[in-house]
Amino acid sequence: MTAAITTRSLAKRYGNLTALDEFDLEVTRGGIFGLLGPNGAGKTTLIRILTTLMRPTSGTACIEGFDTASHSREIRRLIGVVPQENSLDRYLTARENLELHARLHEMPVTSYRKRIDELLELFGLAGRQNDFPDSYSGGMQRRLVVARALVHHPRILFLDEPTTGLDPQSRHAVWDYVKSIAGSMTIFLTTHYLEEADQLCERIAIMDHGKLITQGSATELKERLTGGALYEIEFGGNADAFAATLGNLSCIRKLTLEGNRATIELEHWECLSALVAALAGNEIRRISLKERTLEEVFISLTGKGVRE
Amino acid sequence: MSMAGALAIWRRDMLVLRRSIMSEMIAVIAYPLTIYLAFGIGMQGYIGLVEGIPYSMFIAPGLITMTAVNAAYSESVWSLWFHRRVQFTIESYRVTPVTVSGIVCAKLFSGFTHGLVKGIAVGLVISLITPFRFPPAHLAVYLLFLIPGSVLFSCAGVISGTLMDKPETIGRVEAVFIMPLIFMSGLFFPLSSYPQVIIPIVRSLPTTALFEGARQALVSGNVSFGFLILLYTTALSAFIAAVWIFRRKMAE
Repeated sequence: MTAAITTRSLAKRYGNLTALDEFDLEVTRGGIFGLLGPNGAGKTTLIRILTTLMRPTSGTACIEGFDTASHSREIRRLIGVVPQENSLDRYLTARENLELHARLHEMPVTSYRKRIDELLELFGLAGRQNDFPDSYSGGMQRRLVVARALVHHPRILFLDEPTTGLDPQSRHAVWDYVKSIAGSMTIFLTTHYLEEADQLCERIAIMDHGKLITQGSATELKERLTGGALYEIEFGGNADAFAATLGNLSCIRKLTLEGNRATIELEHWECLSALVAALAGNEIRRISLKERTLEEVFISLTGKGVRE
Repeated sequence: MSMAGALAIWRRDMLVLRRSIMSEMIAVIAYPLTIYLAFGIGMQGYIGLVEGIPYSMFIAPGLITMTAVNAAYSESVWSLWFHRRVQFTIESYRVTPVTVSGIVCAKLFSGFTHGLVKGIAVGLVISLITPFRFPPAHLAVYLLFLIPGSVLFSCAGVISGTLMDKPETIGRVEAVFIMPLIFMSGLFFPLSSYPQVIIPIVRSLPTTALFEGARQALVSGNVSFGFLILLYTTALSAFIAAVWIFRRKMAE
């Protein structure tokens, strides 16, 4: 099966700066693929190359089997792009924005009118279709940009930080719309919001300094980071009293005590019964499994330093 | 090149023009009309005949031409700058099948249409307030100059709008290059007013070919083939340059 997106040794250099460095990626058809990375990691450069807006310095990038260097026009027929900026035409109404996009894709009037009606309905904009985008809220403008990218039935949808700057309600609304269309196409999403990637993406890649660091499902990435199960135990008294007991257990990889709580990283979950047995007879208020977050994975791989 | 895509962008520009035409027209007509009333009518008694015709008739073709080419330049430069730097719509066009050449052609044609519409409007107003009537044959010959002239200024607008990132730079280009070139080309005075040594240099300017050639065409129906060749050659070169520069800028 042909992959939706493939890059081989893709590189982009601006003078001495390397934005993409021997970048290899394969995104299978269907589903939502998330690309994470701190500012300046090379995400936007990659998306600009994949959407034919920029040529790589070396290497190849293919969309549905078409090389971006030699078949850009064919690719542009297959893709829909939601850029970081809204890029809506403020002198055209919402409907006219969609109509212009349809004409740029050389769609016949009879087919695009129906399609635009459907999209305006789906994105909850039908009632305001004759208004100018400047009169829309940020969330509505974003929905309109997503709708515009879908007018010509793209096979791959690129979403470049689609919810940046939106309030939580609008963000969740955009997520719902993205989920609702996910089955019919491949969605390639870049985001700063790890919760967004966790919620939406079936597969996630993390990149930094122009290189791919790791990829997998959110669960796989979390497991890869921890390697074991993380539990939190709340005692009736000070947790320091149990330091010796817990320290003697060989399957505890890491132990952190704070107040009446102990955070314990086990080699594997089967150790839990040994742990409970060791603590038998003591006052234990609560034992809970602590989920690793994608943010912890991200920070552990890309560091905490602020990027310019 | 995708003609359908280029046509879609041009249609968009015309829709926006249609919505704002009345408010724009007032501004477009006010400037040349003020000049015409001040110089053509106010100064007429002091200046008398120029090259055998009344001064108000001498400057009328130039004012119509100036309005048209200025409108072509302004539409192209501001439209391209605004769509590229503020609204980012050029980028949204570029992820559709329309080609870079198609975008440039659409913007050129939009600038040209703006120029034509506004030039005609000023021409109509001038004809309403003066007794001069130009024969239709003269008007047809005049268009031979106005069309490449509008294309030339539209190309200049596309080049400026592509290269300039700051709006104040665009204003400076207009003040330092565009307006002096227009005014030096015999809009308000005959070329014979220049010192003999300068005349060949002024006559070699494409703006002179436009303004002087357009005047001759409209007033007497004469076609200066030398001016016509110079104008068409420059317009073609400017078109090639505009497409090349826009392509390069987009590839950055």
